Amino acid sequence: MRDPRLETSPAAPVTPPEHWHLPAPYDWRAALAVLLIGLALIWSAQRVEIDKMLRLTGEAALAQVGLQEESQVGRGLGRMFGALFPFAIEDRQEVARLPGLDRDALPRFTRIETIETTRYEMNQTTLQAEPVVERKEYLVHPFGYLLKVGDKMVETFEIAIWATIIAVLLSIPLAILGARNYTPHPALYTASRSLVSFLRSMPELIIAMFLVLGYGFGSIAGYLALGLHGAGFLGKFYAEDIESADRKPQEALTALGAGKLRVLRAAVLPQVAPAYVAYTLYILDRNVRMAAVIGLVGAGGIGQELKGRYDLFEYGHVGTILLVIFLTVFVLDQISARVRARLIG
Amino acid sequence: MARANPALVGGGVQPHLSFTSLVRRFPDGVRALDDVSFDVPNGEFCVVLGRSGSGKTTLLRSVNGLTDLDGGTIRMGETEMSRATLRAIRRRVAMVHQSFDLVERASVAANVLSGAVAEAPAWRVHLGWYPDHLRARACAVLHRVGLDEIHLPRRAAALSGGQQQRVGIARALLLDPEVILADEPVASLDPAISREILTLLRDVARERGATVLCSLHQTDLAREFGDRIVGMRHGRVMFDGPPARFDAAAEAALYENTPAVVSPKAPVARERSYA
Repeated sequence: MRDPRLETSPAAPVTPPEHWHLPAPYDWRAALAVLLIGLALIWSAQRVEIDKMLRLTGEAALAQVGLQEESQVGRGLGRMFGALFPFAIEDRQEVARLPGLDRDALPRFTRIETIETTRYEMNQTTLQAEPVVERKEYLVHPFGYLLKVGDKMVETFEIAIWATIIAVLLSIPLAILGARNYTPHPALYTASRSLVSFLRSMPELIIAMFLVLGYGFGSIAGYLALGLHGAGFLGKFYAEDIESADRKPQEALTALGAGKLRVLRAAVLPQVAPAYVAYTLYILDRNVRMAAVIGLVGAGGIGQELKGRYDLFEYGHVGTILLVIFLTVFVLDQISARVRARLIG
Repeated sequence: MARANPALVGGGVQPHLSFTSLVRRFPDGVRALDDVSFDVPNGEFCVVLGRSGSGKTTLLRSVNGLTDLDGGTIRMGETEMSRATLRAIRRRVAMVHQSFDLVERASVAANVLSGAVAEAPAWRVHLGWYPDHLRARACAVLHRVGLDEIHLPRRAAALSGGQQQRVGIARALLLDPEVILADEPVASLDPAISREILTLLRDVARERGATVLCSLHQTDLAREFGDRIVGMRHGRVMFDGPPARFDAAAEAALYENTPAVVSPKAPVARERSYA
């Protein structure tokens, strides 16, 4: 056995270790870059009022522990949070507005409540304010609103699912065209990559606003907008994984006479499948959250309900909606973590 | 250069693979193949012997078109290799690779079935649902290479190196190839397993009458398994003959002297680290 040191570099002269040059962990360029970034952040901090943010937050914290009377942030948020509780669960409708209601066979779980309100009305003859008792009957469903929000949430979830399906279906061909080693032509590669970047750069809220103009209010605009944006995301990541997949099995199948699509299916797909599942689940998760947001511009789902209640100052209803969104995202997160663990493990 | 008399070696006299003046130049001017010519008769187990960088792998990869040639012709039976015949030739040639080149995350069954990826109907390939006769064949070849039903659903990565190479051989056998190219099939295996794998390769090839072109760098294995040894160095054929004639002088011609002495401009460090 020869000396391993000589074997790798026979010509290099042997320097004693005390003369070795151990490179510094970073050089002046790195230090300068950090300094410049720091200066830029200081300049930017006063533009975005970091100092004010810190002062107001500090006041709010002090007010919480009783060291200060009250704070602006505490007042604003406190009013909001106060109004969110209690969450609105029940649903009530005026009986007078339900002409077809059969009092002997009320819908399940519902009851009729009578509420008396006293109003003062000017008597035209005596010119005195006289109390007038008004009776209003309400058909009350004890958890009707929760059911309605649940129904909207299901719709939101459907939007998210279809958006994910559209994103996957669009991004598979985009990824194959946009993978350097599988694209049929460099021009198609550039076209695919540009389209993917374009789709990704368009915020889904903006796409949804435009699509609402074309498709009208409702979920069509919602899932199309989310699907297009998701394709911009998945197209990029799918393509990059195809490019970085281990080449050797691909070559082995090429050597057997397989064409590109078959090699993709048999040698690339098994390698990239776990990553694809992870990306797709992330997009689904994101679509559920975003489906709640794009409802704000009228693209269907729970966001539309949220926007309506918010504009009517019905914060109790807003609270219920926020709670349901949170629970849904939380549950979905747990499920997707398990799916991922099973597929990757 | 010693030219083999085909009648002396192997079983048949009909050349199955025929190489004529193969040349392959790398961009840096090194000739990986420098005027390589020889014939391989039908059913022969032909070992291509040489150290790393001698051009063995390039030669093997040129047979199924994984490496393009700069000159010379390859004939397989009556077919001359060209762009037009490449697809057809690839379907008659199977390859066993040094690092197995399996899809590690896929199951053993899927890996073996992928040997038929060029033959099965497209929709079946894409659904991963291969026809029954291929599935039955996959089980048969897996059994032949010494694996069991319990291995079918396992991921290739979960197998030992020797088992992975068995799967690699099973994949190569799936479509009954006429020619098996084995590129350093045992380079990443220990000596005992290497003998088992080479024995298996030789036996299955004999059973099927397949011609084997197997590159090796171990002289003892080449002597033991080859019907014939083609010794290469710097892209040239330095020896061609039966193992009995591969004596110490022939071995020295292949292995003696470092490349640094012969050609100082050769990439010394890389050559040596593999040696």
